Amino acid sequence: MAYLISDEGAELLESVKEFCKNEVQEQCKEYDRSGEWPKAIYDKAIEMQLHSLEVPEEFGGPGLDRVSIAALIEQMAMADAGFATTISASGLGMKPVLIGGNEAQKKRACEIILKGGFGAFGLTEPGAGSDPAAGKTVAVKDGDSYVLNGRKCFITNGGIADFYCVTALTDKSKGVKGMSMFYIEKGTKGLSTGHEEDKMGIRTSNTCDVVMEDCRIPAENLLGEEGKGFGIAMKTLDQARTWMGCVSAGIAQRAMDEAIAYGKQRIQFGKPVLKNQALQFKIADMAIKIETARQMVSYALTLMDKGLPHTKESAIAKCYASDIAMECASEAIQIFGGYGYSREYPVEKLLRDAKIFQIFEGTNEVQRIVVARDTIGRY
Amino acid sequence: MEILVCIKQVPDDSVEIHLKSDGTPNLDGVTKVANAFDTYALEMATRLKEAVGGEITVVSIGEDSVRDALKNCLAVGAEHAYQITDAAFDGSDSMAKAELLAKAKAKLEKDNGKPFDLIFCGFEATDRASGQTGAQLAAVLNAPLITSLVDISSKDGKIVAKQETDFGYNSIEAATPCVVTVSKPEYDPRYPTIKNKLKAKKMPIGAFAAADLGVDASKVGQGAALTHTVSFSEPAQKEGGVKINEKDQEEGARKLVAMMVEAKAL
Repeated sequence: MAYLISDEGAELLESVKEFCKNEVQEQCKEYDRSGEWPKAIYDKAIEMQLHSLEVPEEFGGPGLDRVSIAALIEQMAMADAGFATTISASGLGMKPVLIGGNEAQKKRACEIILKGGFGAFGLTEPGAGSDPAAGKTVAVKDGDSYVLNGRKCFITNGGIADFYCVTALTDKSKGVKGMSMFYIEKGTKGLSTGHEEDKMGIRTSNTCDVVMEDCRIPAENLLGEEGKGFGIAMKTLDQARTWMGCVSAGIAQRAMDEAIAYGKQRIQFGKPVLKNQALQFKIADMAIKIETARQMVSYALTLMDKGLPHTKESAIAKCYASDIAMECASEAIQIFGGYGYSREYPVEKLLRDAKIFQIFEGTNEVQRIVVARDTIGRY
Repeated sequence: MEILVCIKQVPDDSVEIHLKSDGTPNLDGVTKVANAFDTYALEMATRLKEAVGGEITVVSIGEDSVRDALKNCLAVGAEHAYQITDAAFDGSDSMAKAELLAKAKAKLEKDNGKPFDLIFCGFEATDRASGQTGAQLAAVLNAPLITSLVDISSKDGKIVAKQETDFGYNSIEAATPCVVTVSKPEYDPRYPTIKNKLKAKKMPIGAFAAADLGVDASKVGQGAALTHTVSFSEPAQKEGGVKINEKDQEEGARKLVAMMVEAKAL
């Protein structure tokens, strides 16, 4: 089974599959070791317009439904989760503009993406992870400008983005109601990137600090109104989380594919190990979980396409898919036995890649808070 | 420059093919793809078109599945695509296919009022690898032929072809119209962009049957074939190699040469 996608999506899927097979999967093994950001691969992906899948049709994007895009992103994730994360995080960086921005701002951000640029989203700070309201970045209005000061951390695409959407407090006395969202382009004076994370997984994606020191931006770079930043950030994450569920499902699918291929050719006791029902059941459990995750992702994306509420469904999709990605990667290693623990084989990377999906864009504990709150209601 | 590129659909050449019990290749479940050398030809043609202007038309002989290959061509450089299809064409050999391609070329030129300046073919197809069609097409058209190109450019109304040989490269100038067959260039065919792929899906693909081309059905198809495939055979299984594991490269090379002398390979 897979996503039920449009004819257009199905045709693109073939091209993306070929691209990932020829240009991404094998090449990323070495970048996983070195931690280098594989610019050459991303340049090819940009040439193919893979990074602009989420640009709305009215601003020059391809006009695909979200489930079709999910099938393409999943294919990228199967090849390399870091690659898919970079591509998807660019969409994340664009979302605050699409959610809170005016027409000119939307046009500007989409143009940058279409020309081959990347976006990044900055909410997290050293002291503000699961509690974003504890953020200390401030923006002070000064005539026709805002002056921003603060440090964002763990920013995906932080070092390679062409524009950033960051939250900053415009009124510290109001807490989250004093938080606003700003659009900043690369090269703005006072904007710099700091410490780059040496990560356990998704090593082909760039993650670093983004620092603002007396960073002066035009007042028109405020997205929406002052005080609306937290709401825009939450809506952004509500959408983005499903995409992380989509990437997670891709990791899980790759883990199962690798486990099946290995289990068919590994002979023990005179027969392929996959002839043992104990291992067949492991595969069955993987298949059950992957399909469930995928259909949850699909449902949340369909709600988004229809403009319906999706907070809870997106949280379920992200939480469940990332949990089962860890389980599938771990079970794939188990099926590979000792070889699975070796870096010579592909499955240990999947476990390292999968872990972050339980953490970023809201930890899975936060997702459970979201689901519980939505399910139980106020009382 | 008006360019015609001839495309053949072949079984995916990355799949290992075995023979069935009747001695014919087992192609069950093997995906069909555009012949790799034809995709190189299209990429080379597209680069030339981008440099000097003009349009590219792709043609392919075969059943409806070739429309997928043609659609892909429309996404990576071609402006027009035509399928040459008729039950009467089944079993045609390369000579008959060259005749069909020549007829299609003539029809397109008549319909559009524009002659083709260049006709590109892959230098061989990865399925039967006979390497005949391009040369036979040149013969049918009575046009000059340059084989095994790895690059092409245009200068003062002539084309300049870089031909790969066993010893290096020849630089060949030719007047148009002419036929060229393409080997593996230094570059790879481009991937279709998302937008071009979606655009190509909506572009029309024409179809020519025997009657459209004015083909005498008795001169094509299996019955008219001048060549027949007698049998297929699988390549010999590679035997396990010998690992040379000497202390350093020099000793390794010495041992390798000694072994080659012993095996009378040198």
